[in-house]
This record gives sequence, structure tokens and C-alpha cells, in this order.
Amino acid sequence: MKEDFDVDGELGFEPTVSATGSDPGTAKASKPGRRRSLRRRLGATAVLIAALGSMGGAYAAFATTSGASDTTANSQDVSAGKQLFETSCITCHGANLQGVPGRGAPLIGVGSAAVYFQVSTGRMPLVRQGPEALRKPAQFTETQIQQLAAYVESVGGGPTLPTGNLMDSNIAEGGSLFRLNCAQCHGVTFKGAPLSAGKAAPGLGDATAKQIYAAMLTGPESMPLFSDNQLTPTEKKQIISYIQTMKASKDPGGAGIDRIGPVSEALVVWVGGVGALMIIILWIGVKSQ
Amino acid sequence: MTDTATRRSSTPQTPQTPQGKLAKWADDRLNLAGPMRKQLNKVFPDHWSFMMGEIALYSFIILLLTGTYLTFFFDPSMAETVYHGRYVPLQGVSMSRAYASTLNITFDVRGGLIVRQIHHWSALLFLAAMLLHMFRVFFTGAFRKPRELNWMIGLGLIGLGIIEGFAGYSLPDDLLSGTGLRIADAIMLSIPVIGTWTSFLIFGGPFPGDVIIGRFYIAHVLLIPAILAALIGAHLALLVRQKHTEFPAPGRNEHTVTGERIFPTYAAKAGGFFFIVFAVTAALGGLAQINPVWLFGPYNPAQVSSGSQPDWYMMFLDGSTRLFPSWEIRLWGYTIPPLFWPTVVLPGILFTLAGAYPFIEARMTNDTKAHNLLQRPRDVPVRTGLGAMAITFYLVLFLSGGNDLIAKAFNISLNAMTWGGRILLITLPPLVYLTTYRVCLGLQRHDREVLEHGVETGIIMTLQTGEFIEVHQPLGPVDEHGHGTLSYAGTPVPKRMSQLGASSPLRHIRGFFYPVAEKPEIQAAIDEIEAAEAEQPDTHQLTD
Amino acid sequence: MSTTHPTTDAPSADDLREMTPEEAMLAGAEADDVHIVHRRDRFPIRGTRAEKRAERAVAASFTVSALAGIGFIVAFIAMPYQWHLPGTPQDFRFYTPALGGLLAIMLMFMGVGLVLWAKWLMPEEEVIQHRHDEPSTEEDRLMTQATLAVGLEDTGLPRRSMILRSLGLAGGALATVPLVALVGAMIKKPGKQLEQTLFAPNPALFPPHGYVPIVYSDWRRVSPDDMLPGGIATVFPGVRETGPDGTNGLTSASSPTLIIRLKPGQTIKARKGQAGFGWPSDAPEFVAFSKICTHAGCPASLYEQQSTRLLCPCHQSQFEVLEDAKPVFGPATRSLPKLPLDVEIGSDGRQYFIAKADFNEPIGPGYWERP
Repeated sequence: MKEDFDVDGELGFEPTVSATGSDPGTAKASKPGRRRSLRRRLGATAVLIAALGSMGGAYAAFATTSGASDTTANSQDVSAGKQLFETSCITCHGANLQGVPGRGAPLIGVGSAAVYFQVSTGRMPLVRQGPEALRKPAQFTETQIQQLAAYVESVGGGPTLPTGNLMDSNIAEGGSLFRLNCAQCHGVTFKGAPLSAGKAAPGLGDATAKQIYAAMLTGPESMPLFSDNQLTPTEKKQIISYIQTMKASKDPGGAGIDRIGPVSEALVVWVGGVGALMIIILWIGVKSQ
Repeated sequence: MTDTATRRSSTPQTPQTPQGKLAKWADDRLNLAGPMRKQLNKVFPDHWSFMMGEIALYSFIILLLTGTYLTFFFDPSMAETVYHGRYVPLQGVSMSRAYASTLNITFDVRGGLIVRQIHHWSALLFLAAMLLHMFRVFFTGAFRKPRELNWMIGLGLIGLGIIEGFAGYSLPDDLLSGTGLRIADAIMLSIPVIGTWTSFLIFGGPFPGDVIIGRFYIAHVLLIPAILAALIGAHLALLVRQKHTEFPAPGRNEHTVTGERIFPTYAAKAGGFFFIVFAVTAALGGLAQINPVWLFGPYNPAQVSSGSQPDWYMMFLDGSTRLFPSWEIRLWGYTIPPLFWPTVVLPGILFTLAGAYPFIEARMTNDTKAHNLLQRPRDVPVRTGLGAMAITFYLVLFLSGGNDLIAKAFNISLNAMTWGGRILLITLPPLVYLTTYRVCLGLQRHDREVLEHGVETGIIMTLQTGEFIEVHQPLGPVDEHGHGTLSYAGTPVPKRMSQLGASSPLRHIRGFFYPVAEKPEIQAAIDEIEAAEAEQPDTHQLTD
Repeated sequence: MSTTHPTTDAPSADDLREMTPEEAMLAGAEADDVHIVHRRDRFPIRGTRAEKRAERAVAASFTVSALAGIGFIVAFIAMPYQWHLPGTPQDFRFYTPALGGLLAIMLMFMGVGLVLWAKWLMPEEEVIQHRHDEPSTEEDRLMTQATLAVGLEDTGLPRRSMILRSLGLAGGALATVPLVALVGAMIKKPGKQLEQTLFAPNPALFPPHGYVPIVYSDWRRVSPDDMLPGGIATVFPGVRETGPDGTNGLTSASSPTLIIRLKPGQTIKARKGQAGFGWPSDAPEFVAFSKICTHAGCPASLYEQQSTRLLCPCHQSQFEVLEDAKPVFGPATRSLPKLPLDVEIGSDGRQYFIAKADFNEPIGPGYWERP
């Protein structure tokens, strides 16, 4: 935090030592031999406490956002996260998470949920700039991701993932919500879709429940954001349950051929069906002599 | 000698056997003996490329059979219901009865899913076979006089088949086909002057209304199949009346047809092929899932899935719609939307051009003769080039119908796919025409070159002058310069030594895994018979 | 049927009774103008090993077919086919493949058996038939032409113009009447139905002003606090009563609408006449567009919140939200209609969106008489 508030004004007296810790150029040297009164020392402490308290309160007031707080964050995580950040992320996102134009977006207020999504899907650290950050193997372990997330949360705040089970029993409701809000980009069979000019909505085949929740909440890249008032946490869990159930369920009709419909069916009927029949036709039509 | 060659024939006037008595009973009333024999003795040529139309016919029969089964379970009603069947991810979801009954067939009717899948795969195969058959007829010139009418009937079958398929896969009222229905409505709306009236007439009001599935149902199970059956009947009747075309070969001419008789050989092969086609559709229906409507959900006009395409036979229209630029015409307060041109005008032009092609070609080539012999594609380079050009045009549109899936699969920008499709559509067909034309000419030249100079034997000789020559085997008599005198007759010219000569001692060897050895005295008798046959004069030429 | 032109005289019944069946068959073929120029038994000597192999192959084929059919019946009855949630046994997924595979084997070997029977065991023949596709004889043409002409003359039509004209009228009526009966029953006047949606103010349902409340798909009212910047929601007019076409606010196909909350820094450049349609009207942060694509009617709903592009998945039209959903790529030619938004205070003190008026142009795909 910047320490540029009015020291003299806050404290109400001239300090013997300035708040920045260095000898103040303008501080008057104590009168030789003069003893400090107890009342003045107590008053100083009280005001110091008040100052610290108001600073802390101001911090708390500006930093909190909606969403249940991640109770597992602690100062060890934050400092470990800070170290990880400074080795892996600082080049593009800046020392103070303010972002670097042309390289990395500012991370103030994105929240631990966004960090969890981007880092656990391997999108971050970004390999190269382009229209789309593609999923790749995660560079950090789950613990490290938690630490990074805690650090970014501590700096700028933002949405956090809820703890506990992220599934719900009402799969059918999840399906209806998915088809209304998600299917146009991610497809009813979770294969994703191309967007304009080289971007793409990814398939959901590898997505975990936490990643899906985080994505809905934080809207990574082109994805819109779905606040907890628009899609309540229960509704988000229903959507997740639908996706994970459908991914795990087997096709009753034989080989799923990617489940996407007419395009793969065309391939199968022309290559498989017509191909097999042409071979058979040649066999029947060939004269036996 | 065969049994029938030694036994005396029994008399039909006083039959002794049960089948004889039945035959007499029937013939006394129907007088069939002469006409039936005539049909049994009919000759069918047996080139492999003539069997693709059969695939279409058999697919149609399979569609009728499986479709009838489905009508026992399907409910074509758009009334709202709440699903309480076996499939959990849709439990409690509100949907139309049509969709619910489709889910019922899939999950609650024992064996319902495989019949549904066989039905849908047969439909895809039906249209694929018709298209293949059309290509064969086109490239071999079988559409020429007197068969222009059959060509047009065939095009009618393809057009009706497309509409029938569209109506069929729209019946389950799922999200994918419902989206297609919405686009169909927009296509109707785009028609000038009568567009809105057409849309409101078909849908019984504004989209979607509550009658469309019921109307599609009647069209799909009654009206269009009846017309299809009638057209197929006419198509086959014309074929029987005019007899099938055949490729030129020694001993064949425009006035005869050579092949096998229907009974028993051809009927056995054709019947066998029906079961084989059915087997392929059954294999597809069981092993490859198709149209998984339970994944799409019920149709809701507020919802759509990415990667939505129609079935393959309509995908060229989806492609033309995606590629057509945003050109709207606005005249005196009236609008012609951009959707009109790629979805109404383009297929109209394509079908009209195709239907008129026999007459166009006859006019361009000044050919008014009737033809029963086919042509090799290389011998008609302009037609072959035009056909290749048309197929290229169609393929670019077809692939553009799936351009979002291609873009996603290969990480290509969607905008680039659209522009690429537009450019390829204009530039690729003429290139293909030129290339095909040159290839045809080259093949023709090679045919004549082999006729003139003989087949390359691969034997290289050195002359005394030091020159290397390759020995060529002439195909027939040569003149004083050593050039072959045989002229090109429209038949394939042998190009390799292994294609020369039909006799080979190998044909005596029977057995697939190991040769079958007959007893010596039996083998001797077989050799004697075959030697006698080889000495007989070639009776393939009709004397009259 | 064309008359046959036998090349030889057909043998008499006495001759035929004396012939072997094979000779009689050949005679019949000749009588039908079918010339069997080559006919050869595949196995002229009976009982050879080769013949037995061929017979056994055909019989084996049919036997396999029968066994597969039995297998199909057993599988059909005995195998589990009920769908279950994942985590529980998923063996239903073998049911359809098993049925299909066994059915395919049964049919394939039936067909293969028949084809092999024809190829390996039935005599090989080469048969030539005259096409008889010459044009009808001059005699036939003349006689038929005369028949038609005289028949026409018999009716007297060419000279009985009164009958001809009245027949024409009756024929026309006969053709038109069913058409009128059918089409007339099916015709529905489009009227103004394409030009309005259920967002149109309805003072009867929502006194006093009639502004229609905007709701989610579960009838919950939409509040500005619900969405985050960069969020998008599908909303509908909150009209529960079904209209004359049987649809209400949620089920009408013209209802689906998108509300987008713009991010800080994203400013709308409004189209002419639509300046105050966002909310708050002076510096709009919330904008609402019809979800129904103006090209072919699919929901145009792939929203890229960073580039503010709205992509339609059907034919890849792209709309630029910051230019009031103007089409910038693809086949669409018209901007998505914009809904005029406003808020009212609900009974719980929260703000809720309402539609100040209907869309000021028809939603969805274009048509001939579109205003």
C-alpha cells in the first residue's frame, strides 16, 4: 500500500520518527534532557491504533466482493502465491497486477476463481499471443494454483469459488438451463464452436466441475459472465451436474461418432456405407470367369 | 447331362404335382403362361455400375418396412406433455408429444432404437445411392434419347427424396430439426409476393404454430411415399419397356441387349443384393449412432446449439446460405431478402438445368438418334468436364455447410472459411472443367496410341545400331508400316499384357484356400469337356 | 406390349412334348426372341469335390444366417436395454450394437448365399435379346392416327364449340374447386402478426401504462443488479395469458430477447431513432436486442463479451453490439431490432426492467412486405 497519507495531520503532533521509518528532515530534535509525558505516549499509541484500524477498515471495505469467501486462504498461501506470481506471471501482468498493454490484462478484481480457471486449464501461462488461449496441460500443481489464486485475490479481490460439492441432483433442470444459456457456444454435445475471426468456444470434454463453475462466474476471454443473481449457485451446480453426467453416460445407439450429428453421419454413410456397398457391387458384378 | 436334359417334360394339361395343379388353376383364370415366360426370359446386362440404382430401390423398401414399424409408436402431436420416461436427463422437462414419443421409442420400446436408426441410415443411403446412380447415368450418357423421360423422373425422385427426408427428421421436434424448421419458415417468408401467405398456410399461422408436425407426418408417411412409389414404378416400367442400356463390346450393337436372364440367375443375384443392402443398413443402424435427439433436447425457439446442420443431402443448401453475401434488394417498399437466392433460386436453377440437360446436349451435339449403347466418360470430354464441374460446385457448397465444424477442428478462422468458400465456389469449378477435359483427351489419345502401336510388353531390346526399343504386342492386324489397323470401338482398350487373352490355365484351379483336387478320372472328363468347348466357334455374334 | 418377331417358327405342341425340358426352355426363349448363345453347366460332371465345396459354401452361408437370426431373437429378449445414469452399469450400450450386428450377419449371409448360389452353382449363360425398340411401324402409326382422329371426330368436339367451351369451364371448375376447398381452409392472413411481439404495451394486463415486465424463462423478473458487466441473459415478455395463436410470453417464437450488460468503456453508437432505447437512457449500460436473427430466424446468441460481437451459429452472421447490432459479416442484412428498456420499482423496492414499447420494426427474417 502506498504510504502517502498526511503523517502529521493524522497523528496530531510532530513525530520524533517519521512514519516512513527514516529520520524526518523536518522533525525537530527532542529538546535535550526533556522527558516524554506518559499521557503523550499513551495518546500516541491510541492514535496509532486508530490509524491502523481505519486503514484496515478502509482496506476491508474496498476489497470485499460478492461470493462466499475461500476459507482456505491464509497468509502462507498468499506469500507462496506471490513468489509464484513473480516468477511466472509478472512479465505480462505487471508487478502490481496492473497489466502490461499488448501483453497481459490487469488482474485487479478478477478473483481467485478466474485464476483457478485460467491456470488449472493450462491456458495461463500463455505460450503466445493469438485470438484464443488454448487449453493445455497445467503448469502448476493444485496447491500452487490455490496459492496463486489466493495471492491475486488478496491483491485485488474478486469472485471466489464456493467450497463443497459442486453437483446437484436435478440434472434435467441443468439441461434446460444449459440449452438456454450455454449450448449456442459450447454445443449440446459439448464440442464447442468457432467464434468470429479465429476465436473459439472450447469443448467441455476435459472441464472439471470447479473449472466450469469458475468459467461461468468469471467469463474468461470471450465468454460472458453469469453472476450468482442471474444463475444462482444452485442453478450453476445443476448445469455442472448435467454436463458431467452427459459426458460420463454411454451412447445407447452404438458408436457415438462424436455425437455431433449430420456431418459425421455423412462421413460414415459415404465412406462406410457406400464404400462397403461399392466393394460388394464389384464382387457381385465381376464375371466368375 | 442335367436332369432336365434327360427327363421327358410332363404335360401341363393334366398336371400330377401340386405345383402343376396350382399353375393350371392360375393360368385357367389369368392366362399368364405366355406373358409370364416372356418376363422370366428377359435379359439384364450385369455390369457392376448398373447396381447403384438397385441400392436406392432396396433402401426405399427398407424405409417402408422400418417406417411402418415406427408409425405404430410415434405420436405426431405438438401438444405439451411432461416427460416421465426412463431417460433421466429429461425427466420432468416439458416437451411436445412428438418428442416424447420419439424418446419412448428410443428408451422404452424394446428394440425401438435400432429400428429408428436403421430407418434414418437407410434414408441417408437412399439419397446417396440416387446421387451415385445419377452420376453413372450422366457420365455414361444413359439419359440420351429415348431415356430423357426417365432422367427427369429420376430427378423428381431425388427432389422428393430430399423433401421426404427433411420432413422425416423434423418429426421428432428436437432442437436440431426445429432449428431447421425455423430456417425453412424463413425460406418461405423470403419468397416474393406470396412468402408470408405461404408460411402462414403451411404452419397454420405464425411460426411454429401447433399443426406443422401433424402435417409433416401425413406428408411423410402417406403423400410423398405414394408419389415416390408411383414414380419409382414409372421409372422401372420405363426401364423394363426400353430395356437397360449397356456398354459397347464385341458382339453388341444398338439393337440387342446382352446379359443374363431374370430367372433364375439375375433374380437370385438381385434378391441376394437386397439382403446385402439391408445388412449394411442394419450394421450401420446397430453400430453407429445417428440423430441422438435425446442429446439435443426438445425444440424451443429461444434455444440453439452450435454446430447445427441439416442432414447431408440438404447441406449444400446450408452451404449456399452461409456463403451468399449480404445482398438484399429493396424496391418501392418491397424487400427481397438475401435468403431467397441461395435457398429457392439456386436449387430451382440446378434442378431445371439438370432436367433440361438431355435436351440441351442433344441440341448442342445435333444428336437426335436413339442410343442404347453407353459411352465411356473419356470419349465425351465436354460432358465429363461439365459433370466434374457440377460435382465440384456441389462439393464446395456441401463442405461449406459444415464449415463451422471444419473451422473448429482445424483451428481456422470462421471468417476465413466463409471467404474461402466464396472464392473456391467461383474459381474451382472452371479449373476442374479444364483439367478434366484435358485428362479425357489424354486418355483418348492413349487409347488410340495403344491401338496403333500395341501394348507395351516391358521387354527392352537393343538393336544392332545401339538403339534401345521396347517390344510392343499388337492388338490386331497391322498394316505395312507396322501400325495397328483396329479402330476404336468405344470399348476399353487393354493396356497391359495381363489384360490380354482370356484363357489361362488358372481357371481350372478351384478352391479358395487350397486347390481342390478331383479324382483323376473325373478331372480327365472335365478336361475333355472344356477342350471340346474351346474348339467351338464363337457364337457370341448374332447372325441375324 | 410390342409384338414378338420370332426368328424361327415356334414349334408345335406335339414337338414340344417330345423335347427334353431343356430343349423346350430354349424353344420358349427363342419364341420370346431371347437367344441363349452360350449356356454351360458349372459342374458338367455331377458330384465332383469342387461342386460339393460350392454347395457346402452356399449351405453354410444360409446356416450362418439362420444361427444369427436365432442369436438376434435371444439377444432381443435376454440382453439388458434399459438406460441408466452413469455410475451404474452401462451395459445397455451393447444392446443396439448386438441387435444390429446379428441382424446384419443374418441378412448378409442370406444375401451372400443367394449370390454365391447364382455365381457358383447356377449355369452360366450369355443371352442376347432383341430390343425391338424400333419406332412403331408405319402401318401402326397410320392406323392409330386415324383411330384417334376419327374418335375425335365422333365426339364432334372440333365443331361443337358450345360443348367445347362449356366443357372447358366445367373442367376448370373441377380443377379449381378442390384446390379452393383445401387451400382456402389452410390459408391464414398474415396481417400484422409479423410486425408485433408480446412486448407491445398492454394496458389491460399491466395497468395503468401497459409496460410489459421483462422476465427470465422461469417468470422471475429481471433486475439490473442480476447481471455483471459482460453478462448476457435471454429474457421474455412477462405475459402469462395465451394469445389467439395459443402462445404466451415464454412460448411465442418472436419473444426471445437478449439483454446485454456492457462493460465500462463500451459505449453504444445508437442507430437513428433508437438513441434512448438502452438503460440508463443517457449513458446506456444495458441494451436489449431481439434474439431472433434477421437472416433466417435462428437465435443469434454467441456473444463475445470482449469484442462485443454477436454471432449466429446457423450461417455465421455477425452483429456488432456497440453499433446497435449492425451486421458486419455474413449473410444478414439488417440489424437486430432493439427493445426500448426502462426500469420500474417493484413492490420489494428493487428495480426491474420493463419494455417501454414494442420493437420499432418487425423482428426476425425479412419478407416481401416488410415495412
